This record gives sequence, structure tokens and C-alpha cells, in this order.
Amino acid sequence: MQKNTGNKLASIIEMQNVGIRYGHGPEILSDIKLSLKKGSFHFLTGKSGAGKTSLLSMMYLSQKPSRGTVKVFDHNVNFANRDSLAMLRRKIGVVFQDFRLIEHLTAFENAALPLRIMGMEEKEVKQRVKEMLEWVELDKNMFAQVSTLSGGEKQRVAIARAVISRPELLLADEPTGNVDNYIAPKLMNLFVELNKLGTTVVIATHSEKIISDFSYPRLNLENKNLRIYYPNDKIEMDTI
Amino acid sequence: MKKISNIHDIKFSKDEIPLKSDSSNLFLEVMISISVFLFSVTLAGVLAINSMLSNWSDSILGALTVQIMPVNNVNKEKSIEETLIHQNKALEFLKTVDGIEKATPLDDKQLQRLLRPWLGDGIDIKDLPIPRLIDVKLVPHAQIDFMALAEKLAEISPLASLDSHKLWLSKLIQFADGLKNLALVALFLVLSISAGGIIYATKSSLGLHKQVISILHIMGAKDAYIAKQFARRTGYISFLGGLVGIAFAVPTIFAIAKLSEKIEGGIITEASLSWLSWSSILSLPLFSAIVAMMTAYVTVKKTLEKMM
Ligand SMILES: Nc1ncnc2c1ncn2[C@@H]1O[C@H](COP(=O)(O)OP(=O)(O)OP(=O)(O)O)[C@@H](O)[C@H]1O
Ligand SMILES: [Mg+2]
Repeated sequence: MQKNTGNKLASIIEMQNVGIRYGHGPEILSDIKLSLKKGSFHFLTGKSGAGKTSLLSMMYLSQKPSRGTVKVFDHNVNFANRDSLAMLRRKIGVVFQDFRLIEHLTAFENAALPLRIMGMEEKEVKQRVKEMLEWVELDKNMFAQVSTLSGGEKQRVAIARAVISRPELLLADEPTGNVDNYIAPKLMNLFVELNKLGTTVVIATHSEKIISDFSYPRLNLENKNLRIYYPNDKIEMDTI
Repeated sequence: MKKISNIHDIKFSKDEIPLKSDSSNLFLEVMISISVFLFSVTLAGVLAINSMLSNWSDSILGALTVQIMPVNNVNKEKSIEETLIHQNKALEFLKTVDGIEKATPLDDKQLQRLLRPWLGDGIDIKDLPIPRLIDVKLVPHAQIDFMALAEKLAEISPLASLDSHKLWLSKLIQFADGLKNLALVALFLVLSISAGGIIYATKSSLGLHKQVISILHIMGAKDAYIAKQFARRTGYISFLGGLVGIAFAVPTIFAIAKLSEKIEGGIITEASLSWLSWSSILSLPLFSAIVAMMTAYVTVKKTLEKMM
């Protein structure tokens, strides 16, 4: 990693001429060009249905572009084999808009999943998961089956699961949509802290409040394309 | 919710994919139990036939006798002479047959000794129209078509014949051999149908758990990680099904053995099952579990390969 700090900043995600369509429908996203530098923090905005989730799903490698090239950690996803995609995914934490927790498992087991998949030693897994869940204030519900949790509680389990492995890339889709105004800033601070430790972060959100609370650049989806807005000087420019 | 005071007491669920509650589990278990039942009864049959065949061929078929009927002529001298000509023809022929090591005609003295119990001493067999015998030694484990041999022999000399017991036995062996091949085909079919059932059940289960599987994938699980969970579950179910199948099969095998004892004795008693045969039959639940595991594993891997 340190080698890449030389003449150019390492890119965590690169997109060139990327288009996405579902089935035989029209393109949802067209000619996307994007480069996310290591350690950057971006908000992702756009109207409902603009394609935020679709864009993120290419980043967390659950979807290949219909056209163009997507590089994640310098790997072209069109050519990577299945096992190496799996290894790349281990470096990515994802908070889904619809949580995607495993309902019949406990909050604890869900949050432990990424570490167990990596094959981490059980004792350490337990210690880390416990601390994480306490931090998102789920100490009481740790061993409850996820299907019995409230929306906000599920969201916190989802966030705990996304950050538990201290990923290099964190992608969060509306991560504070279901929590109250007391815990939302706390969760946002978690992402900020993680970013300070080197994690590249992208957060899709509709909340103007959150965006204005932090001075991070904003990727906005408009007319199937991405525009980047910088917070202070409000300079509008094309994607990098 | 129960309170867990010490996190080190936590046991992680081994089944992240909730395969335990699949409705296809019962279908699989019943199918495997029927398959193992059919397989073990058929396998017992194959093994029994095998032991019967090897008993027969070892003890009885190592040698055989060719008999030359005497020519019955008014002129005794001539009769004997002609009989010997037939014997020599048969002898010449036998020596050319593959699988025959040695063909030796019995001489007068030997014949006389054989007949002594019936005719007593002091009788010159030259005066009697008795059949001549050729002792034929076979190459060990020779594959000889006795039917064809008998026919050829009859062509060469109408007076020569194979001893009939052996002919009959060889027909029986041919029949048993055919039966065995049929049973082997049946075994193969049972195996294929079971594998097909497992593939079908695994695929439908994969569809059912698409969501959880995609979560595991996004968390960085490799296909093998997912395939292992399916293999473990399918293996477990198949082992249970196999135990049920074998529990029904063992009494059935005994019942069939009892019934076959009532058939003309002597032949079927050769068809006993050795302890080796029994242990291979009893290991079928394990065998079915292993086959099921591998089938499920490969099915999952192949199916997942088509996804991103
Ligand atoms: N799996 C799919 N199959 C077909 N169409 C899809 C699929 N996923 C998304 N779409 C369509 O693609 C478009 C973009 O959807 P996407 O979920 O990316 O939007 P979004 O910006 O995340 O919206 P929201 O803010 O409401 O979450 C929508 O019109 C949606 O109907
Ligand atoms: Mg969305």
C-alpha cells in the first residue's frame, strides 16, 4: 500500500464508460466516469430511482457493468475470477438500504459473519463483535434473533457487520434512514473515524442535514450521469 | 431472551443457510432410504452370485472329461479300431483349443481300474464295448465356452461328448453371469437416479436460499464455503436415509436367503455372503452419504459459477 503513495494517489475504484441496464430496459446509468482515491470520503446523492444503489452494487462487486470497465482495488471486475472477487469483497464493508441480514441468526452471529468467513480465530471474533455491538448500543439485543429486532436495531446490526472487519472500502446505502436523531450522528462519527484510519468511504443518502453537517464532496446522480460538487466553494465540475 | 454472561460460551450456528427447514429434506431422506434399500438388496444378490460363481469355477470347472461312445460293430477288432480313430480325432481337436492345457486319453489299464468296481478283476475290456475317456486339464481360470466346445466336438466326432453335468453347470453359470450383469445395471440406475434427485433437491434449495447466499457472497465467502454447508447437510440427511434403508434391507436379505434355501439344495448354498460382503453392504449408508455430499458440493459449485 505504501508503495502507491509515490507519484500518483492509489485509486480504490475506477470506472470508465460504465453503463448499467436491467434486462432489455434502457440504461439506468450511462457513461459513468469515476475515480475514488484511497482515503477519500464521498456522499452519493440523487433522486429516488436515480441509480445510487445500482452504482454502489458495482462497487461492492455484486453486479458487473453492462458496458465499460470497473476496477476495484486495481482489479478489472470483468476479468477477475470468482475466488479473487471473493477476496476483494473481504476488503469491502457494505451497509445495505434493506439491511440484508440473515434473519434466523442472532445479531451477534450476523455481525460476526465477515470475520468468520475470513477464518478469524473464534476467541478474537467474539471479543471484537461484543465491543462493536456495545458501541452501537445493542448490548441488550446482542443474542436476539434478527427477525425480532426493530428497523433501527437492524440498521445498527448492519452497520456493525459492515465495519467489523475494518474494511479498506466502506459503502453505505442510506445508513441512517431508520435510526433516531440521537444515534444517527454517532453512527456518522463512526464512519468519519474509520475514514481517518484510512478507510475509503461512500455514503448514499437523501439527508441534506447530514451532507451539510460534514464538508465532504458529493457525487450527485443526474441524467444517468455523475457530477461532483465540492462543499465550500460550491465549484461544479465534471467527474475527475 | 436468555442472558449470556460470558461471550465465550457462545456457539455460532453452523448453518448460516437455513437448510435444516427445507421441505426437500424429507423428499431426499425418503428417496435415499429407498435407494439404499434397493441398492443393498441388489448388491447382496450380486455378491452372492459372485461367491457362487467362484465356488463353482474353482472346484468343478478345473478339469473335464470327454467321453467317446464305442462304435458297435459285429467285428470287435474293427469296432475298437474305429472307436480309437474317433478318440484320436477328438484328441487332435482338443489340443488346438485355447484354454486347454492337456488332453490325455485314458489307456486300457486306467479304464480297467475305473471299471473294476463294477466288472471285477480278470475281465479284458478289449472284449467289451465300453466308452473311451479323455481327461482334459484346463489352464487355470481359462474362459472356455463349454457350449461352443460341445458343439464343435460333436461336429468333429458324433461319438464324442462333454460330460453333461459340466454342460449344465456352464449354462447355469452363463445365466448367473447374465443375472449379475443385469443387477450391476440396476445398481448403476439406482445410483444415477439418486444423484439426479440430489442434484434436483440441491438446485431447488439454492433457489430458495438465494438471499442468504448472496449475503454470504458479498461478505466475501467463496463458493466452496457455501458448497460445504450444502454438502454437510445433504450428507447428514443421506446418512439418516441410508440407515433407514439398510434397516429394512438386512431382514429382506435374510428372508430372500431363507427362501432360496428351499430351492434344490447344493447349488444355492454356495451363494453365501462373506463377512467382507456383509461389511460392504453395511457400509452403504456411509457410502451414500459420501456420494450425496460430493454430488451436492459439485452441484452448488457448478450452479454458483453462473452467478456473479
Ligand atoms: N434488479 C433490478 N431489476 C430491474 N430494475 C432495477 C433493479 N434494480 C434497480 N432497478 C431500477 O433501476 C433504477 C435505479 O434503481 P436504484 O435502486 O439504483 O435507485 P436508487 O437511486 O438507489 O433509489 P432510492 O433512492 O430509492 O434507493 C430504478 O428505476 C429501478 O427501478
Ligand atoms: Mg437505493
